[in-house]
Amino acid sequence: MSTRDRSNWRQALWQIPAIILMAGLVGISVNSFRPDSIPVVGDWSVKTRMAAATQDTIVIPLSEAAKLFSAQLAVFIDARDKQDYESCHIRGALSLPWYDVSKRFPEIAGDIPSDKAIITYCDGEGCHLSHDLAVFLRDKGFKNVWELVNGLTVWEDANLPVEEGNAGSS
Amino acid sequence: MEQKNRSYNKCARRHPHTIITDIVYHAARWILGIVFICASFHKIRYPAAFAEAVYLYQILPDWLINLSALVLPWLELLLGVFLIIGLWMPGAVVITNLLFITFMGALSYNMARGLDISCGCFSTSPTAGAADIWTVLRDGMFLAVSLYLLLATFRSVPTEGRRLPSSLPE
Repeated sequence: MSTRDRSNWRQALWQIPAIILMAGLVGISVNSFRPDSIPVVGDWSVKTRMAAATQDTIVIPLSEAAKLFSAQLAVFIDARDKQDYESCHIRGALSLPWYDVSKRFPEIAGDIPSDKAIITYCDGEGCHLSHDLAVFLRDKGFKNVWELVNGLTVWEDANLPVEEGNAGSS
Repeated sequence: MEQKNRSYNKCARRHPHTIITDIVYHAARWILGIVFICASFHKIRYPAAFAEAVYLYQILPDWLINLSALVLPWLELLLGVFLIIGLWMPGAVVITNLLFITFMGALSYNMARGLDISCGCFSTSPTAGAADIWTVLRDGMFLAVSLYLLLATFRSVPTEGRRLPSSLPE
């Protein structure tokens, strides 16, 4: 290693923490002055997020979703990709992958009954696809649209019926 | 004496290879600098949305999510500016490499465990599309450029008249 190499590494040793420190100071300072600031340490616990989610009128509790399912008053729409849908989905659910929604929506729109509740779902506490799909469907004019948070997991945990295959992916 | 002068004049002329290496080096700095600056804008504008994107990666502990969302965009902006103006290059290129390795690792890890989340790399919008193999390859390409800069900065061969810190490989 040449003298110049060693000099570069020595420079890097103080420059690295200096750059990170500068970014930290600027980031936190700017945040404290902006109107849409966020707390430096946020509460991302599942409990808090679920509480926030249930305040949102778009979210439907599992018990309600299960009642509508039993009474055949709801159509479920799976927002995950086709492979996930085919491997397991809520029985009778239609498939409308969020990442292909602009192409797939016209194909599936005719299968969505206007007299039933529409319940979108995906899987996982952090999955936002069902929320985005529900908002999309509301924007498209469907009135009775709901999101089942962490849908497939809570559905299976409650021993409600699921199935495999591509029956609803037309 | 005359022969000595001739020899000096010949050596003083810059070899074409050095010029090409210079162009590649500066192009690499500018490319990564622009990439970082572009990547930082949306995240700085929408800190809450970026924090959500960081949360969805499900890698960091809760207490680090907001802090990262506040500091990382400014770190990217600073790195972008430093790379373009050639300031503190040894420190900047080391952090650049560490960032790209971290980004690639996080993306690959989440793809391997089947998380269907958006990258959050250049946009915090959830409709930006899910991260896929192309996202990882794109980051791999940036990492390759970044590694080149690291080598160019630390495997130094002094070049006369260079305003920028270190040097390039011959």
